[in-house]
Amino acid sequence: MLWLYLHFPHLLLDHIRRHQTSTGALAIVDGAGHFVVQACPTARDLGIETGMRLKTALGLAPDLNIMRADPKQEAWLLEDQARWLYHYAAHITLAPPDGIWAEVSSLQKLYGGLPAIWQTVEQALTERQLTAWVAIGHTPSAAQLLAHTGKGECTADKGHILNAVGKLPLLTAGFDKKSCTRLQRLGLSTLGEVFALPAAELARRLSPELLAIVQKIQGTRADPKAPWQPPHTFRQRADFLQEVEHSQGLLFSLQRILAELEEDLCWRQQDTDTLRLILQHRHEEPTRLRVRTTGPEHRAEVFLKLIQLKLDQQPLRSPVTGLILAVKRFTGREAPIGQDLLGETQDLNEAWHTLISRLQARLGEQALKQLAPREDHRPECAWSASDVRKPGKSPKGVSGQLPHRPLWLLKGPRPLLQTPVAWHSGPERISGGWWDGQRVHRDYYIAQLPGGELAWVFRDVQDGWFIHGWFG
Amino acid sequence: MSELLSSLLQDARIWQGHKQGKTTQPAESTGYQVLDNQLGGLGWPRGALSECLLDTCGIGELHLVLPLMQRVSQEGKTIFWLNPPHTPYAPALAREGVSLDHLVMINTRDQDDFLWTLENCLRSPVTGLVLAWPGRLAGRDIRRLQLASEAGGNVCVLFRSRREVDQNSPAALRLELVPGEHQDLQVNIIKRRGSWPGQRCSLALGHRADRAIKESSQVVQGPWAGASR
Repeated sequence: MLWLYLHFPHLLLDHIRRHQTSTGALAIVDGAGHFVVQACPTARDLGIETGMRLKTALGLAPDLNIMRADPKQEAWLLEDQARWLYHYAAHITLAPPDGIWAEVSSLQKLYGGLPAIWQTVEQALTERQLTAWVAIGHTPSAAQLLAHTGKGECTADKGHILNAVGKLPLLTAGFDKKSCTRLQRLGLSTLGEVFALPAAELARRLSPELLAIVQKIQGTRADPKAPWQPPHTFRQRADFLQEVEHSQGLLFSLQRILAELEEDLCWRQQDTDTLRLILQHRHEEPTRLRVRTTGPEHRAEVFLKLIQLKLDQQPLRSPVTGLILAVKRFTGREAPIGQDLLGETQDLNEAWHTLISRLQARLGEQALKQLAPREDHRPECAWSASDVRKPGKSPKGVSGQLPHRPLWLLKGPRPLLQTPVAWHSGPERISGGWWDGQRVHRDYYIAQLPGGELAWVFRDVQDGWFIHGWFG
Repeated sequence: MSELLSSLLQDARIWQGHKQGKTTQPAESTGYQVLDNQLGGLGWPRGALSECLLDTCGIGELHLVLPLMQRVSQEGKTIFWLNPPHTPYAPALAREGVSLDHLVMINTRDQDDFLWTLENCLRSPVTGLVLAWPGRLAGRDIRRLQLASEAGGNVCVLFRSRREVDQNSPAALRLELVPGEHQDLQVNIIKRRGSWPGQRCSLALGHRADRAIKESSQVVQGPWAGASR
């Protein structure tokens, strides 16, 4: 078996720089805010090093951008990396906080050799502007050790790999401090010298745990790695160094995230109809936005337009420090139908969804309604408004049984103030609603008012006269 | 150059008082032969705005567009109602044979949203007909809508107040609607492309009142004689 290990020396730094247009000096500090943990190349040019006190760093570069390391966020980021790597390799195991294993011996045939795999991964890393140290080892531990030194080589030769591992100093091997000191006192300084010791003696004189580590590196002891499963959701986040005050400033990051979403959906062969956008503020509760398309969709540009509309409608409450885009609902993709070979006929179905989504995004979902008759004798209950849905192909043949009704119904009955000039039809007695407390007992007439309009008027039990509709 | 001129004259896009050329612009029949005749045998212009100017609802203005609505909804195209003044009554529309699945009612909060929505509806290929009640409109807004309408090639009917009769408008067709004596609808053509204005006709819409007019004597004559009690 061969293992490929990716070590991300400064994942958080890469992540932040991807979402930034400006490139100032940037450093990540530890949770307490005392020491520099990661420094970007610009910062390193200014003399800032990892492990340096923050005060010293600020002395060297007064306008240094600082970001605090967050273990939770690092875990998220690592998962992100696993997700794209999963496109290339099936058996992936995470090595928190900053590494990923991928089993590659089974992939050699697919890609046509180890160098091709190596190249594919390197290319994917460059595309994503990530820094990673890659190494191949015959055991997971060997690959990890080699990757940490940054001297990984593309080789499948076990002897060569063991040779390279053997040259590594003891301190990098991950032994506990006490054993390390003891080994050093024995006069050993590289791993290779430890490998040369007899196993039984090593276990007896030092510790069985140390032997286990050594054997795992050598490959004489099994070191199973549970395969990682990609989550069934999509979640990406962007963090901003400078707070973003206008929604325009979010678009750059959104574009990148949506492009990744499109790629992800393409790869899954799925669509989605709901995006959840969470905007984080420094002092306030995060703003949660729900962007809905009317139909399944996967194109980044469509999502971007909808989000733009939504953001235009809802100005930012306060400056944004970070945003998260999450997708939880996925639907299978339907094969496009009705499009001819040359693509000349427009896909009306798609155009309908696009139009309705655009309208809903700007006006709100309640602004668009579809009407339907309902079976009730009371005029105000005989219709219903529902959310817009794609028209089906089932015309209901009810038109024959419906009574004569006006085309306009008033939102509520309005008192009849003028004396009608002509009476045309009536009375039609409508009485009902005793079952739900909204009792109606009325006599309806069709009458012409002095202005020439044809009204649907009724008289209620108290002898009051009201207009309830117009025959438009 | 002369080619350009002759094409302009042929499409009746240049108005000539002495010669009334037949326009070749696409149109949809109104469903009323009398009105179609007055409109040069064509009907509602497609890809252009039409305006109906009226005082109050309930004079038969919806019946004027009902034949078109029936046709459009049966073709599977969507009909948008934008800011209707009252609720379009679903049972009545279903009874008239309008497919309610293809009917979308939109209410907008302000004028900006209204114009934006109307423009988007007009430009979409799924739209068959847009009925809109715009309230007050500035001249440049109508111009903008007219352009959107040309891009989409749909029928758009704006229902506006009769006060706007004197206001100049870039709409291709302007009709003034006045109620007649016997539930009929008087249609005065104020403006039409490639023709003189001033034609008028009357559409009999007596069926709105359910029963024929001659039966009306059988109806109880209302309680108005004793209303003073």
